[in-house]
Amino acid sequence: MRPFTYTRATDVASAIRLLSQNPNARFLAGGTNLLDLMKEDVERPNTLIDISELGLTDIKSIASGSNKGGISLGGLGKNTDAANHPLVRQHYPLLTQAILAGASGQLRNMATNGGNLLQRTRCPYFYEVAMPCNKREPGTGCGAKDGINRMHAIFGWSDQCVAVYPSDMAVALAALDAVVTVRNASGQERRIPILDFHRLPDNQPEKDTNLVHGELITAIELPQNRLADKSYYLKVRDRASYAFALVSVAAALETEGNTIKQARIAMGGVAHKPWRSLKAEAMLVGKEATEANFKQAADAVMADAKPLAHNAFKVELGNRSIVLALQMAMKGSKI
Amino acid sequence: MKDTNKAVGSPISRIDGIAKVTGKAPYSMDHPVTNPAYAILFKSTIAAGTIREIDSAAAEKAPGVLAIITHKNAPKLNVKGGLRGGALLQSPEVEFFGQNIGIVVAETFEQARYASRLINVTYDKKEPKVDFDKVADQARMPKDKEKADAKRGDVQAALGQATYKVEEVYETPIEHHHPMEPHAAIAEWNGDKVTLYSSAQIVNGAQSAAAATLNLQPNQVRIVSPYIGGGFGSKGGQWANLALAAVAAKQVNRPVKLALTRQQMVNSVGLRQHNRQKVSLAATGDGKLTALAHEITTHCAINDEFVEPCGDCSKIMYDTPNSLITYRVAPMNLILPTYTRGPGKSTGSFALESAMDELAYKLKMDPIAFRIKNEPERDPSNGKPWSSRTTVQCLREGAKAFGWEKRKPEPRQNSQGNYWIGYGVSAGTYPAHQRPTSASVKLTRAGETVTAIVELAAADLGTGTYTILTQTAADALGLAVQHVKVKIGDSDLPPAAGAVGSVGAASYANAVNDACEKITQELLTKSGKQFFVRPTAAQLMRSEKLTDYQTRVDSKPPENTEEFSAHSFNANFAEVAVNKSTGMVRVNRFLAVTGAGKILNPKTARSQIIGGNVWGIGMALTEESVVDPRWGNFVTRSLGDYHVPANLDIGHLDAIFINETDEHVNTLGVKGIGEVGIVAVAAAVANAVFNATGKRVRELPITPDKVL
Repeated sequence: MRPFTYTRATDVASAIRLLSQNPNARFLAGGTNLLDLMKEDVERPNTLIDISELGLTDIKSIASGSNKGGISLGGLGKNTDAANHPLVRQHYPLLTQAILAGASGQLRNMATNGGNLLQRTRCPYFYEVAMPCNKREPGTGCGAKDGINRMHAIFGWSDQCVAVYPSDMAVALAALDAVVTVRNASGQERRIPILDFHRLPDNQPEKDTNLVHGELITAIELPQNRLADKSYYLKVRDRASYAFALVSVAAALETEGNTIKQARIAMGGVAHKPWRSLKAEAMLVGKEATEANFKQAADAVMADAKPLAHNAFKVELGNRSIVLALQMAMKGSKI
Repeated sequence: MKDTNKAVGSPISRIDGIAKVTGKAPYSMDHPVTNPAYAILFKSTIAAGTIREIDSAAAEKAPGVLAIITHKNAPKLNVKGGLRGGALLQSPEVEFFGQNIGIVVAETFEQARYASRLINVTYDKKEPKVDFDKVADQARMPKDKEKADAKRGDVQAALGQATYKVEEVYETPIEHHHPMEPHAAIAEWNGDKVTLYSSAQIVNGAQSAAAATLNLQPNQVRIVSPYIGGGFGSKGGQWANLALAAVAAKQVNRPVKLALTRQQMVNSVGLRQHNRQKVSLAATGDGKLTALAHEITTHCAINDEFVEPCGDCSKIMYDTPNSLITYRVAPMNLILPTYTRGPGKSTGSFALESAMDELAYKLKMDPIAFRIKNEPERDPSNGKPWSSRTTVQCLREGAKAFGWEKRKPEPRQNSQGNYWIGYGVSAGTYPAHQRPTSASVKLTRAGETVTAIVELAAADLGTGTYTILTQTAADALGLAVQHVKVKIGDSDLPPAAGAVGSVGAASYANAVNDACEKITQELLTKSGKQFFVRPTAAQLMRSEKLTDYQTRVDSKPPENTEEFSAHSFNANFAEVAVNKSTGMVRVNRFLAVTGAGKILNPKTARSQIIGGNVWGIGMALTEESVVDPRWGNFVTRSLGDYHVPANLDIGHLDAIFINETDEHVNTLGVKGIGEVGIVAVAAAVANAVFNATGKRVRELPITPDKVL
């Protein structure tokens, strides 16, 4: 770990001001990812601004505005609290399932909602500073593309980077049309739809998100929906807990009788961001909720897949997982 | 105070348990020393070549830095002193990725680590041999005579004539030990003597290897290792870090703490090698084996050899007139492989016991009946009688307890919702040995209360050595367990065998029993009296009004020990549920039935067995260390990447011990249980996956992608 200055912020405005003044400063919230990366010499901030005592932890109903009737999760609330809050469990069980599928109890107790969105890839070439990695050190090459890439992307990767984004929570948020609210040094608020929050690598894999340095995630808003009765988060992994997804699927349906009125399909473990398939969702609208139709939607999602040397299995696994997740959603499988 | 003679065989809780869970038990880094400095190793970032230059100018100026030691300024060490894996900073040659190339010593750990990152190393690189697939063809005969080709009869002819046969290749990947306590040492010099606080499975072995490497006499090195936070073989033979801690401490003239990081564990302290195993079996239509060939290809270090004995189970498990065991080994630019729980037997049994299951299926025989049909009356490898053998009992009692009769012989017949259910069985073995061990006993009396201190340089891996030796001594002296104190883990104590190769319990308990027997005899002689009923040592201390008495014994295995073939045996039963859509496998139930002679403590023994089972399940389903085939680095460097099973992966575990008396193995009839708990476990799981799905996975671990 490189020497750094530690500052405990006392209010939101000064925290943002301190960060925006120093391009090498980072916010410290739960620290569950940042501190690991600092120990590994991957992240090298010269200043940490501790924001863990700024509040921003409320979970509440939204009384007005475009997401009226939905709920808002404070950016600095803990993952455990978000997963277990009665409003979340009742109205967004998909999010509860996704959060609880990630990490471990101890990590979720520390990790914050905003921090979860900002966690960095677990690509081993990113973590090992002796390896080439364009995300860690632009211009050095991608170690994974022609290396060990079983865990890596099948969608949206570039020659620069084939890493996947690791969050489970964000996959559910993508399916639920969440909006990330951020504040900058001028005190302005910006609202970023979750699907625009994370980026594909293109030729700037060092940029995980569209967040601008100096912005703080204040809240995550979830719009009201009619999906709570039929949703499911399926995570396929190498062991039953504390492992990143080979493939995960956040699936949600609204039906009338057996006819689908609305569908959501988002995938994790397959791309540099949560991978939502609006095309496959549209295909399902107006169709019967049958295995055959689910399969057709899954085929549509997977048609765009471009597997690497070691992860071709993700295409078949993803296909099956979408079908299974939709079936489980139809059963109203609860937490 | 009422004396007792029933401690041995009682399921008493481990006597060091409370000290451990309350943090009072000192592990390597916990020992208090005055004003320690902190050292960190830095490592090569290529797998083969020569260091051209090490630029440490910036690091030397970094805050808190006390010393930087590389091959350019390291003292001359004896690379053949007995530490494993080289990497002692004696030359600029690099033989594997992550080889130690230097030490930074600083006032704090973080200062040392920071400075280590300011060091710039340039190399003259060579093309590394890091892709097993590319070097396997060039594998040669091992130098180790134990691994010479072992041949009986004519396997090829038998295979040629057979209607029923299996010829398949089974792969087990590189695994790492990853004990909870990474390797660490505190070195403290006092004149020309050094104390090394460092966990060691072989206390006296660590002492002699460290001494020889540092060009010292053994009595100039003291190893203090009262507790070990797991070892699994990686703390049996010791590695460079032990001597380098002493080098660093000498250099800065202060005690030095040197701990490996988790990421450094993958290329510092050995590994279990990748084994490519071809097993060929042939049988008659009624299930009598006619041939068994087990041909192993693996890898070792560039300049040093270790080959785990994957063929051992195949040598003795089944009766066959034609047998062939061969080893070939290819040097690679990877760290030296080493002993890893159930060395050879755990991985070799995966191949053998999978093949047995495959052949039973072809024969349409129950796999238990098939094994029993081929039960050997004597050890097939040397013709010796068994000291005792419990394979058939383990299989039969296990089948009954597990509900084996509910198994469907054909795959995909047992469906529960979105899961296929499958049952699998396997059988395994591990040799039982007793090694020379000394022990001393000191008796003290205060009033009517007699207490004993038992001392020997034994090791407790966390498995219960303290507890079983307390029980053994209590019974042998006629004392209650609370009046016995066992001191181990210090090379100043009488020399003892290691807690390796499942010899610990037999070696230590017999030595302690012998010492207690000797002290009783000496006290009898000293009393000059004849007794109608032989009194205990405790009674003699009272009747003879002695306040202190002590003795020491150098205990050896019984003289006829070589006349018998002595082994622990087991049978494993697994029930798995395989998700029909995703291929994820969960072990619903696992039962291990073990015949290991006298069980000194059923509670600690059960923990040993189910611990071995969990690792075996990990071997089957999750564990794999992956090497980049271009550069030789491990891409699985943390416990987030190297998957040991989590609680959710494991359902109900159960362990049964066969009630057996082995009169030949040693005085107490104790066999080892440390290793046998992992042997053949992976095969039982793989066989269950086949029974569930019809998919035969011959390449571990059985991850979802292989089951799809």
